[in-house]
Amino acid sequence: MPDVQSLVNDFLNQLKKRKIEGSQATAKQTAELLRSFISQHRVPYTNQAGALIDAVRTVGEQLIAANPVEVAVGNIVRRVLHIIREEDLSLATDAIAGMGLSAASDDEDDVERDDHPGLSAVAVAAAARSTLRPPSLQTLLEDVPDSAAIPQASSSGGDSEGKSRSVDKSSRGRKLKHDVIEAINELIQDIATCHEQIAEQAVEHIHQNEVILTLGSSRTVLEFLCAAKEKKRSFRVFVAEGAPRYQGHLLAKELVARGLQTTVITDSAVFAMISRVNMVIVGAHAVMANGGVIAPVGLNMVALAAQRHAVPFVVLAGSHKLCPLYPHNPEVLLNELRSPSELLDFGEFSDCMDYGSGSGSSLLHVINPTFDYVPPKLVSLFITDTGGHNSSYMYRLIADYYSADDLVVKGRHVTRC
Amino acid sequence: MWWRSASFILDKQQNDAALKPDTISISPPPDATAHSSMADTFQNPNPNPKISAYYQTRAQHHGVVTSDWLSQAQAAIDQNPDDHGISADEVRVADPGKPFSVIDEFNNWRKQPDLAEAVAAIRALAAVIRSSKATTMMELEIELKKASDSLKSWDATSISLTAGCDLFMRYVTRTSALEYEDFNSARSRLIERAEKFGEISQKARRIIAMLSQDFIFDGCTILVHGFSRVVLEVLKLAAQNKKLFRVFCTEGRPDRTGLRLSNELAKLDVPVKLLIDSAVAYTMDEVDMVFVGADGVVESGGILNMMGTYQIALVAHSMNKPVYVAAESYKFARLYPLDQKDLAPALRPIDFGVPIPSKVEVEKSARDYTPPQYLTLLFTDLGVLTPSVVSDELIQLYL
Repeated sequence: MPDVQSLVNDFLNQLKKRKIEGSQATAKQTAELLRSFISQHRVPYTNQAGALIDAVRTVGEQLIAANPVEVAVGNIVRRVLHIIREEDLSLATDAIAGMGLSAASDDEDDVERDDHPGLSAVAVAAAARSTLRPPSLQTLLEDVPDSAAIPQASSSGGDSEGKSRSVDKSSRGRKLKHDVIEAINELIQDIATCHEQIAEQAVEHIHQNEVILTLGSSRTVLEFLCAAKEKKRSFRVFVAEGAPRYQGHLLAKELVARGLQTTVITDSAVFAMISRVNMVIVGAHAVMANGGVIAPVGLNMVALAAQRHAVPFVVLAGSHKLCPLYPHNPEVLLNELRSPSELLDFGEFSDCMDYGSGSGSSLLHVINPTFDYVPPKLVSLFITDTGGHNSSYMYRLIADYYSADDLVVKGRHVTRC
Repeated sequence: MWWRSASFILDKQQNDAALKPDTISISPPPDATAHSSMADTFQNPNPNPKISAYYQTRAQHHGVVTSDWLSQAQAAIDQNPDDHGISADEVRVADPGKPFSVIDEFNNWRKQPDLAEAVAAIRALAAVIRSSKATTMMELEIELKKASDSLKSWDATSISLTAGCDLFMRYVTRTSALEYEDFNSARSRLIERAEKFGEISQKARRIIAMLSQDFIFDGCTILVHGFSRVVLEVLKLAAQNKKLFRVFCTEGRPDRTGLRLSNELAKLDVPVKLLIDSAVAYTMDEVDMVFVGADGVVESGGILNMMGTYQIALVAHSMNKPVYVAAESYKFARLYPLDQKDLAPALRPIDFGVPIPSKVEVEKSARDYTPPQYLTLLFTDLGVLTPSVVSDELIQLYL
């Protein structure tokens, strides 16, 4: 049996050494790791969800710290935490409903054991459900002293029921874990198929004889364009090469292989060509809660050019790229500097970069940032697996995928963002 | 804009008509003979400038109490409630043995300097519940509705008073819908929650302060306009967290609320620089972010705040500086102002230091409306929000 901790450590190392490329692969591997972690984690008999959440949180903390720039890791950890909370809640609601029935049939004092004697079981369940939602005006006046108390209360309510039937208890524990793993499988499935769901919407956005501009390479964009092509749309694609890694070349090759009319341009030609373009379609590294985009370097320039010529700037992003954090100073904190060897050949420039000569520091510096931050006002449309959204709508998607508690707890760890 | 000016003349006529039977006297009280210059100041076209009650509270709590007019305003507070209380308040009966009135209650509560106006409103409504003799939820609701309406009409200029009343009424409706087993437990629960609201408001400020810490980075310069308890709390926490930052405070004429804030910050050893209100654009290039509070957050996501916020937001927007708003969520109000003049102006006297000829009109409004496109983020106890979330939250609650 492979030790979970060694699996975690392997993954941590890979993250630290930046061995995993792309947010989709990272998200998928994180989810798989957490799945095996949960399946091998022993849960105590009482307060199982709480124990599970704590365990996932400790692992998640390490994972996030290993590569804070790859926000997909944090996203998946939060998604898994949310899944655990949701599954626990649905079990607890079932238990409370069962308890309410049994109370009505045999013993009345069962209800009195509850925290709120005046409240019916329905109200307790409603209160418990409200803890999963982010805080809102509705709950402002309601009695939710601190959000940790309610899940505790509800699970203890479940326990008091289990006290009478101890056989039920262990089966419930297995059921929670089983449900959580089932839900994580669904999540992994979602991550794997998000390309297809985004690509399905391609025909609605790409029209006949249009000119599309993109920069660098993104699998989501490739699938999106090809999906439109398959639906017999004929259009042209301008691919900006995406220096310094020139992944645009790869994308152009792929597009041509699939029979699309493609033009490669340099990054510096974007502004010259943008007036001929009908739509800019790009991929993203991450989408922040305010609708800002962390994207491959050069995209802010493209977005500004698009705004200047009123060309729609469309960002494709799977739901695993939605990050519930707000960017503070993203140009510096959510960025990464890559090796200068991508820009300059060592052989030719090694003299200028020699630290030994002259004043002790080289005269030539190379800065090679990986990402750009595109502010929300420059993005016309986000296309996610759930459809097209405005940038101001991102917070609502985020509220669906994450629970507010996890943001606050994790907020401590991601203050760097 | 011809239509605007035309309607304004109409409005003015109506206002004047409404003012005539009114007997509030803000004209110099007897002891004002000592301040002869002050008497001159009040030679305005309107000899009885109607001071908005909302503004009085604010001036009382936020201003540096130096000007003479403020003492007059304070004197007016003591007169005002009685003037209005009798005319508007139906709860008060002629019988002196039972002189309960929401408005008196509200006035008592709002005198406490650390209490937000919405908290005072909700406390006052709780007092209504306590003194009510209703035996069913419906009766209680009707009684509360009456009380909150009279409270709202007593001071139509206060956004957070209106918002607080609406929020509590909504809670009452929801609670009765929550199937409480009997009336008494529901009633005691309502009272208990209303009395806890002060704590909720304190907690909200703490949450906001915590949320905004990430946005204050070392070495940044923050421009603050006027005095806001929430903003002070934010800056206080940042100072406690050993953040290195400096603050530019606007003066906040005419009630000089900025001076008060700069005093408080100086006590915390935060480097502060005072600006006159007109120096905002001049200093904006040094500023990293603008931090303002809000009197009310409206449905569009824009804010109503002290006069001058709009122009600061415009300057910040044109220089690409973020504008952050710190506001508790109970200040979210169901209003949708389309422009500056869309709301009842909160009037206040302005001391120009020199006599103003009676022919000269004076703009006396105490606040302006900042549209959402000039705001970057709102820090509320519901989390960090983009302006567009506000309407979503309001729709969820009131629909």
